[in-house]
Amino acid sequence: MNNRTEAGVPAYDVVWPLGRSAVLHSTPNLPLQDLTGKTIAELWDYVFHGDRILAILREKLAARYPGIRFIPYEVFGNLHGAQQRQLLAKVPELLKEHGADAVISLVGA
Amino acid sequence: MIASAFLRQAAVVAKGMGMPDMAIAEYPGVPMVESLEDLQKKVEEELLPRIVSGLTSGSGTTAKAMSEIEPTQRAIVFRGSLEEVNDYFQRRLWSDGLPIIPPTLAKVDRFLQFTDRDPNEVIGRVPVANRLATVWNIAVNGVMSGCRPEYLPVLLAAVEAITDPAYKIEDAGSTPGWESLIVVSGPIAKELGFHSGQGVMRPGFQANTSIGRFLRLFLRNMGGFHHAPEGADKGSIGQSFLVAAAENEDAVAAIGWQPYSVDRGFKAGDNIVTVQSVVAISAPVYTGSENVIEHAEIIADVIGQRACGYWTAIGMVYSHWHPLLMLGPSIARVFARAGWSKDDLRNYLYENVRIKASLAQRYAWYAGPTGFRIEAEVKKGLLSKAYAESDDPDRLVPVFQKPEWIGIMVAGDEGRNQSKGYVSNHTQGPPVSKLVRLTANWQRLLDSS
Repeated sequence: MNNRTEAGVPAYDVVWPLGRSAVLHSTPNLPLQDLTGKTIAELWDYVFHGDRILAILREKLAARYPGIRFIPYEVFGNLHGAQQRQLLAKVPELLKEHGADAVISLVGA
Repeated sequence: MIASAFLRQAAVVAKGMGMPDMAIAEYPGVPMVESLEDLQKKVEEELLPRIVSGLTSGSGTTAKAMSEIEPTQRAIVFRGSLEEVNDYFQRRLWSDGLPIIPPTLAKVDRFLQFTDRDPNEVIGRVPVANRLATVWNIAVNGVMSGCRPEYLPVLLAAVEAITDPAYKIEDAGSTPGWESLIVVSGPIAKELGFHSGQGVMRPGFQANTSIGRFLRLFLRNMGGFHHAPEGADKGSIGQSFLVAAAENEDAVAAIGWQPYSVDRGFKAGDNIVTVQSVVAISAPVYTGSENVIEHAEIIADVIGQRACGYWTAIGMVYSHWHPLLMLGPSIARVFARAGWSKDDLRNYLYENVRIKASLAQRYAWYAGPTGFRIEAEVKKGLLSKAYAESDDPDRLVPVFQKPEWIGIMVAGDEGRNQSKGYVSNHTQGPPVSKLVRLTANWQRLLDSS
């Protein structure tokens, strides 16, 4: 192959600089029809006033959806702190144990 | 729940975790600077409906799943002039803003001669984009960065370090904007032309500069850590890549200290690469006097109190912190002449650099960890009892959590009395060291290069 471009300058045939994706795809659960009577788990990374935000959400959601229940963030611990990996590993089991129907996870910022 | 400015990062992370359709509820604004009234209003009027919508209909601000064509390893993806290749790579965010060396097959193959590892060998997975780092694509990015082929074993060791789970490279995009510092130890530093003397942290020497550049480029390409427009890198202000450093092992040997490689658990003479995070650098610290305590006092003040004193709070939040002290050779000589070892200096800093507990807590809160309480961390056993010797909020607590967590290396201008401190980012990027693996015919290869 001619290794010059049409303009006569050197041409370079180059390879891809990225790597194969190792993403494992997962299918999300179906959304809830309604929050009445449902159990909502709170996952918090102990930053950015998440506790205040959760307190407001709890109050407002409870007023709107009878029987809604919350698993407080203290059950799961600080998911961004010194024990992040150990605590994150326990989340699935705790969600099952406490009968969680859905999760509110915060704060990404 | 994601604040507005982090939506793009959330999309990249969600996609990298295989959940591009995850429902995300946007908090409109910056939670840390809102008044309580504004926070309440935003949560009630804007966040709450988005959360309900996300839980009941799965809608919200989501990433879009995109199928991507992945070329085979040796496939040519583009042909063009130097400028055309650079434009093509820049548009696809495969570059870093500087001109790259076009990664042709001939150049990559030349790199691969300097390792006997299979090009397909997977070194690790690089979150958050979760691409696989292989010997091949490390060589490709090494070519692009302007590295010489013989640097490949060092590049491989550096990537082994950052893909070690202990390094937590998945947090490389956090807002402090930390950067990875590579330190090379052992005879290979001289063999490859690493500089450890005056201006050690400046661009200029090919080994130091291109290898430092390589790591940032590699993180962009494999980990997805671009800042604008993609957003996996959310360093608020950030910093440039750091040139790789080498310890001045001749100076260390001359004063009878053990080299940094031995501090890291290896044998003197081992070729190792250590990578750690750097979130801030101290002012240049000038110390004088033939009295060693005067040197220790100023280092404790400028590097300990002023540079590290602020960020120690975040170290406490995560109960983990590894600042690095780069001592000028003449300063190290003063300490050694007075009979001090590196451990003696570490212990001095641990004992003598303190901060008020109330101030540390305040620093931590403003950075974001609004749930942090020093006493709670002591009760959990995550901070030592030295942090809660009384209830007095103004009690003094250690800036350095453990003396053995203070790294010390010797480098810089032998003719000046200057040292510097490198502040690390808690559990994100603790020092991780890996051996540099050389081929059996390494010397012959080096002689021919």
